[in-house]
Amino acid sequence: MSDRQGFLDKHHFLLRRLHSLTGIVPIGVFLIAHLVTNSSLAWGKFGLREKGEGMGLQEGGYAYFQKEVDWINTQVPHLLLIEITLWVSIAFHAGLGFIYAFTGKPNNANYAYRDNWRYTLQRWSGYIGILFIFYHVATLRWGWTFLVPSGTKWSHDYSASTLIAAVQGSPEGWTTAGLIVSLGYFIGVSLLVFHFANGLWTAAITWGITISEQAQKRWGYVCFAMGVGLMLAAWSALGAVFIGDHDDARAVEESLQAGTYAAPAIADPQAAHTPRPDGIPQP
Amino acid sequence: MSVAQAHAFDAETRLANRKRAKAGRTVIFKIKRCDGPGKPDRWESFKVPTEPGSNVISCLKWIAAHPVTTDGQRTSPVVWDSGCLEEVCGACTMVINGRVRQSCSCLIDEYAPEEGDTLTLEPMSKFPVIRDLWVDRERMFQALRRVKAWVPIDGTYNLGPGPKESPEQQQTRYALSECMSCGCCLDACPQYLKEEDPKDWDTAFIGAAAISQVRLFNEHETGKRLKADRLEAMMGPGGVSDCGNAQNCVKVCPKGIPLTESIAAVGRSTTIHAFTRFFRGK
Amino acid sequence: MAEQRVIVVGGGLAGLAASVRIAESGVPVDLFSMVPVKRSHSVCAQGGINACNEVARQQGYSEYEHFDETVYGGDFLADQHPVLEMANWAPKIIDLLDRMGVPFNRTAEGFRDLRLFGGSLFKRTHFSGATTGQQLLYALDEQTRRYESEGKVRKYEFWEFLWPVTEGEGDEKRCVGIVAQDMRTMQIRAFRGAAVVMATGGNGLIFGKSTNSVICTGGAAARCYQEGAWYGNPEMIQVHPTAIPGADKLRLMSESARGEGGRVWVPRKKGDTRRPADIPESERYYFLEERYPAYGNIVPRDIATREIFDICVNEGMGVDGQNQVYLDLTHRDPDYLTRKLGGIMEIYEKFVGEDPRFTPMKIFPAVHYSMGGLWTTYTAGDYEPSEPRPGHKSGSSVPVDAQPGHGMTIGAPNNMMSNIKGLYAFGEVNFAYHGANRLGANALLSCIFDGLCNGVSVVNYIRDADTPGVDAVDQGVYDRFVKREQDKHDRLVASASNDSGDESRNPYLIAKELGDEMTAASTVVKTGARLEQALRKVAELRERYQKVELGDNAGWTNQSLSFARATGDMLILAEAMLKAGLLREESRGAHYRKDFPERNDERFYKTSIARYNPDTRSSEIEFAPVRGPLVKPRARTYGKTDSKKTDAKPAAQTAAAS
Repeated sequence: MSDRQGFLDKHHFLLRRLHSLTGIVPIGVFLIAHLVTNSSLAWGKFGLREKGEGMGLQEGGYAYFQKEVDWINTQVPHLLLIEITLWVSIAFHAGLGFIYAFTGKPNNANYAYRDNWRYTLQRWSGYIGILFIFYHVATLRWGWTFLVPSGTKWSHDYSASTLIAAVQGSPEGWTTAGLIVSLGYFIGVSLLVFHFANGLWTAAITWGITISEQAQKRWGYVCFAMGVGLMLAAWSALGAVFIGDHDDARAVEESLQAGTYAAPAIADPQAAHTPRPDGIPQP
Repeated sequence: MSVAQAHAFDAETRLANRKRAKAGRTVIFKIKRCDGPGKPDRWESFKVPTEPGSNVISCLKWIAAHPVTTDGQRTSPVVWDSGCLEEVCGACTMVINGRVRQSCSCLIDEYAPEEGDTLTLEPMSKFPVIRDLWVDRERMFQALRRVKAWVPIDGTYNLGPGPKESPEQQQTRYALSECMSCGCCLDACPQYLKEEDPKDWDTAFIGAAAISQVRLFNEHETGKRLKADRLEAMMGPGGVSDCGNAQNCVKVCPKGIPLTESIAAVGRSTTIHAFTRFFRGK
Repeated sequence: MAEQRVIVVGGGLAGLAASVRIAESGVPVDLFSMVPVKRSHSVCAQGGINACNEVARQQGYSEYEHFDETVYGGDFLADQHPVLEMANWAPKIIDLLDRMGVPFNRTAEGFRDLRLFGGSLFKRTHFSGATTGQQLLYALDEQTRRYESEGKVRKYEFWEFLWPVTEGEGDEKRCVGIVAQDMRTMQIRAFRGAAVVMATGGNGLIFGKSTNSVICTGGAAARCYQEGAWYGNPEMIQVHPTAIPGADKLRLMSESARGEGGRVWVPRKKGDTRRPADIPESERYYFLEERYPAYGNIVPRDIATREIFDICVNEGMGVDGQNQVYLDLTHRDPDYLTRKLGGIMEIYEKFVGEDPRFTPMKIFPAVHYSMGGLWTTYTAGDYEPSEPRPGHKSGSSVPVDAQPGHGMTIGAPNNMMSNIKGLYAFGEVNFAYHGANRLGANALLSCIFDGLCNGVSVVNYIRDADTPGVDAVDQGVYDRFVKREQDKHDRLVASASNDSGDESRNPYLIAKELGDEMTAASTVVKTGARLEQALRKVAELRERYQKVELGDNAGWTNQSLSFARATGDMLILAEAMLKAGLLREESRGAHYRKDFPERNDERFYKTSIARYNPDTRSSEIEFAPVRGPLVKPRARTYGKTDSKKTDAKPAAQTAAAS
């Protein structure tokens, strides 16, 4: 305890600022990329340009999303290194975040100001958010299928269909467990978006970028707009998954694999077939 | 009045209450009492007649002269801290209806306009209670020592005038210099916690008041000489980076001091200080 | 010889300035205060601090003029040497405060801004918004804290001064320490001190409601008085013309409101119920401007107070038929008012609920300041003119330049020392500078001047080879004083167990009756008969006080005890005030006797000195000559005209508008 405290005290300022920094880079930047990618489930059809013509909105989304996933898994260099950096950052940000959060004692009952609610929500969104991230990564990335209703497993070759199955509870459609998972996703993602947007706003104060009340207010509008944008991206992706159909998505993915589908708009069709080096088995 | 009702309490409601306040009414004071450190808390209620312009102080004075509870029990007079009674000394700060403020400027007409309305008085929550409503705020003054909140002049000899200053700069400093160390900003701050042991004072969160004083003295031509010392204190445990940006401080400050701006300004100073220190190598 | 320490009692401007000066000279200080020093009553001072400055100097003003104004304003009752010295030091004090970081208001070019204040036709008042006292106190508080962290000042906050410890008798009586009580633990103990500086401020609470803080009981001064210190001019109590009436206290509306152009008026028609904004200019009675065309609204306080009192009480012309008049700033730019007077605008708005930028304030006089106080002496400086020059005119060459040392001998050990050796009185608690009436913005000056200038005297006193070391004093001396205080304390605590339920023994009610009586008999207008009646009332209260019963027998943080103890001391001081007021059969400055409405220099160009007789337990008054005169007494009219005849344009109005 005293050793830990000694270390924390000695590097107090550096750790505080690194905590703030990691929340933005890499975590925040990744969050933006992740949510924008996911939201392609909703708008993917339009991303396919003329090649997506004749496709339904949903099919287009599945197709585009799959291409994005393929692209990430095949074209992004040093993916593992990036992932590790992310995990370490998240662990660092969350670990310190817990320690820092426990130094405060919310008092919203007596001081029900909006900013004070923001303060409290930032802490709770952190607590819940990290649980959600853990579940999310464990189930969809590490393959801890025992945490997934009906034990389905996510595959990056069948990204949309396996996602739909995991969230809805089964490949056949909604189950009670699926409803709970979906609610968890909705809450988790929303809180994380809030956590990021609000963190971005307070970071500007912490670092001393916005000083005057006016500047803080203006930057607040920017962060609010960014938060709304990300929230829409997150919700649209979730919406697409909620109303999605496992079999439809699987059909699109299968046809993509077989090369019978319309040519991909952005990714090399050959690349989409290359199995991943770590060789996650397909369902 | 419930806490929730107290929250709805903006300036307009208070003005409206003042207008409709009934003359010659009696109000109930519900007071959290404690006989001394380590003694248990208890609540006592008093029925107090009001007159136009009555404030919490005049009612506490009345209770001191008539220490009988609503149950008819004779009790000891309530102990509280007060000084100027015009909101410039900071002494009479307490928690009224759940929120911290000065009791001298707390007019009964605004808070309890009707016959039988209740006001709740509690001691400040972040400082050790001495007795009843009286708390020990020595930690605030220790914080001022911690950040060297003074201008290091050469002595009181006759050495001519101080540095010239623009009116704008003066207005900025004046606003910060109005801090009366009342502690409202600290009592309302979720990051500022009660620390009974003075040993912990120098590492626990220092709070908005002292951070704002760092800005004040760093803005002064001569005060700047201690800037590095102050910023080092601000970068240590309990310094400015422990702020959680709840921003309650600025809302409860009776002097309207731009505390959140001070926090950001000191944040900027520490950022710059850290970088220059890193690259300069000492 | 063991380390010699100085005890400073009181942490307002005077006490802090003294602490800083003494600590700086290498003598460690024990600083006692009933409140954390940052909360001392000096924070309430609003308007500013006077000092000659370059702008005024080039308009014909000088330190000498400042001195002359102060003496004239005080109706020639002050000993003049200290006043001259203070005026000479004033500009240097401002410079020092400036260096300490006081945010004085600035001109566009960055110089210290100035405002007009009562009793002067020159702008010579430096200010920091409308909370100048607060800003000055904070600057000194910060410097004290600096010495505190260097270990040169030790603070005893929440400690109450109970009694000075003395040894010897008569002229040889010497103060060697104090007895004090921790207000939290109730521990009573003695502290050795080679010298003791009393800087305990005023005594407004004797009048019940005043503009003073709740700690200003005058108890500390009264205890020194009972120990044999003389008390000078006790009858001289300033009633400030402009305050807001309140249930718990009367809140000051600074003279700077008038200095910045505020106009005092009532409707010409009695019982006019129109809103003030609806009353046309021609139907407003600007009585100060009409009666005093030269000074207008910025006549000295005693005069403004009597005129307002006269309008309300004698003529019955008060606004809404009540005891109040308008103080009107609505003709000034609201932003300007916020910048210059923000502090008091806020107070008015918070407590009255109306914005004085748009609605005239309603005000009435309130007890504010005690010119009288512990009697102190000094060693005169080198300026002793054989020929006093009463005829000094503004702008003419001054008869004495502004170098320090003309008025008082700097560092003379007896400067501001009471008749008890080693017992000093600094600031409002002494009687030295303001005579029969204090000019606005001179109080802050006198407090800081005492601390800075006469702090050196304290150091010289304890370093003087003739002063025997305090460590040689027998411990038994201290023990005796502690025992007496402990007995008094125990007796009071024990009285709580009587619980007779007899209201007449309640200390709060005794104090309230005292306040009501003193306010009625001994403030704006006094008469012999009324003062005698008040003396009888005080005697009755003292009788009742013998059987006082506390409502609290706690052995921890017993606030009632502290208050009850002070009540006894207030009664004693009140008697001195009334007696001196009764014997001074003239009107001078703040002391206005309806039965003797003229100043009588022949009989009363004299300081009244009260001495406490422990055998009869009462005050004895003696009149002693005023020391000086560097300027001879002259008629003090401030150019009053017969209001019926004049149509002169009010000068102050034009001056303030510049």
